[in-house]
Amino acid sequence: MNPALTQVLERSDIRRGDAFGMAPLPALATGFPRLDAQLPGGGWPRGALTELLAEHGGIGELGLLLPALAALTAAGRTVVLIAPPHCAHAPAWAAAGIRLDCLRLVFPRQPRDALWAGVESLRCGGVAATLLWLDDLFRRQLPANSLRRLHLAAGEGGGGAFFFRPAQCAAGASAASLRLHLQAAGRQLRVNILKRRGPPARQALLLDIARPAHFPHAVAGAALPDTNGSRRRSRVAA
Amino acid sequence: MFGGLPALLRRVREDLAAMAITAQLAVAATPLAALWLARSAADALCTDLPATRAALAAVPLTALQLPPPLARRIEGCGLRRIGDLLALPRASLGLRLGKPFVIDLARALGEIADPQAYFVFPERFEQGLELPAPVDAAPVLLFAARRLIAALAGWLAARNGAVREIECLIDHGHGLITAMPLAFSAPVHSAERIERVFRQRLDRLVLTAPALALRLRVQEAQPREERSHALFDGGGQRHEALADLMDRLGARLGPRAVQGLACHADHRPELASRADPEAPAGKLPAPAGLPRPLWLVDPPEALREARGRPQREGPLTLLAGPERIESGWWDGGDARRDYFVAIDGAGRWLWLFRDPRPPGGWYLHGWFA
Repeated sequence: MNPALTQVLERSDIRRGDAFGMAPLPALATGFPRLDAQLPGGGWPRGALTELLAEHGGIGELGLLLPALAALTAAGRTVVLIAPPHCAHAPAWAAAGIRLDCLRLVFPRQPRDALWAGVESLRCGGVAATLLWLDDLFRRQLPANSLRRLHLAAGEGGGGAFFFRPAQCAAGASAASLRLHLQAAGRQLRVNILKRRGPPARQALLLDIARPAHFPHAVAGAALPDTNGSRRRSRVAA
Repeated sequence: MFGGLPALLRRVREDLAAMAITAQLAVAATPLAALWLARSAADALCTDLPATRAALAAVPLTALQLPPPLARRIEGCGLRRIGDLLALPRASLGLRLGKPFVIDLARALGEIADPQAYFVFPERFEQGLELPAPVDAAPVLLFAARRLIAALAGWLAARNGAVREIECLIDHGHGLITAMPLAFSAPVHSAERIERVFRQRLDRLVLTAPALALRLRVQEAQPREERSHALFDGGGQRHEALADLMDRLGARLGPRAVQGLACHADHRPELASRADPEAPAGKLPAPAGLPRPLWLVDPPEALREARGRPQREGPLTLLAGPERIESGWWDGGDARRDYFVAIDGAGRWLWLFRDPRPPGGWYLHGWFA
């Protein structure tokens, strides 16, 4: 190879298209070795925005993040949730291994406040990870520069930055350094890497995330007590 | 300690300017001489006794603020300056003008000792400020508040203290007062941090009437926590940054908008979480092995039933259950429910319950996410 070219390639700000970019900060292990292998730095990026674009809420989008959050809180680091979509059920978070005293939940009423709170939390060096749900507050009309602001704020604070969004937002341009599309796949979760600092991912990953029940063995109908004289059924599920 | 006299004077001048106090400074070898020199508006800087005596000679006798009868008597003698007095024999001065006056003069000249009581800082802080004009917009108050916050920070610095609560009173006149308490998640002492929280809090404030005066009050300062370990692991620094963030979020969004999370000892799922992390956690940990959703739908969403199956955007498939949860009969919040884990056509995992008592009915109570 041309020595001048070799020299250029050795520069830290030059990335070859077929190699993973160097993450400025060590990544957070996701707890899913097969996912880690596909992510630059070997885990969730720190100091950069990650978009988690779920086909629907409730398919396991949070379960994908729980192992990393459990590890952070176990080390006494703080995790902030900005505008979570529902009430957090403390026993479930505790059962997932999250230290509850390390969680802070922020409930802004105005979309502007929510974006501000997100930026402030991301910029804060005392926060190890910030989780955000902003699209519903903005009625899916997120201001154009929001992603960029969040991404830059994450760069200042150096923590994990996880933005949960509806899958429809995948079509838009994004400043995020990692974008994952999430789909339900029975017991598993299908993870499609839409964007990463590195070569395009070839195929989707099927990950075994923690689920509350076995699948697809449905409950026998006999377990259901009858009410209102409705007829006894042999199976609940088809 | 303060980098020499000129540097100290500069700092005193700067701090006074920050508090908008007009002052005349004078330095002399005795306290009384300094007071008289300052009153005479002579920019005196006398660090030894001979210089002090020389400077005092030019000080007009009005600067001594003597009681009027005595002042009149001195004036009647044709004396104008301290120098005129010093030219006279001291013994006759004592006879004519009284012993206390001569003693004061001797103290000023450094001829006899003049012990001073140490200045003791007040135990509680309270300082107010009249606004030069009525203020309608809350953010404008910040400008005035800066002086008070600077004074408070000085008061805290003098006692190596910190505060968790500051009372801020906005006076609208006619006895109308808006109280704006500032609460901090951890004791603070820096003017910068207090000001930041004050600013966020002001942004949320709607003034009911124009403000005429502003007052800051602190009931009690607590000793500052020493954080020498921060030098080594950065933990203290992170802790401080986090406390600062929480204060600013709380100040702008309201104190109830920032919450912690804790388990509460109650079998009823809707009562098993508490927002206050400082509340006692109780002795009912998460039921091991039983499915519990990360998100709770509050209040539970009533679901349709069709062909014996609960429906929500199509039929739901029950995967596990029932788990009977029965509790609360003793406090009127009677709950007897059969819980199920279900999945819908889109692959969402739901937590449902069915009321076993007639008329029954299905409810969505959580998302496993």
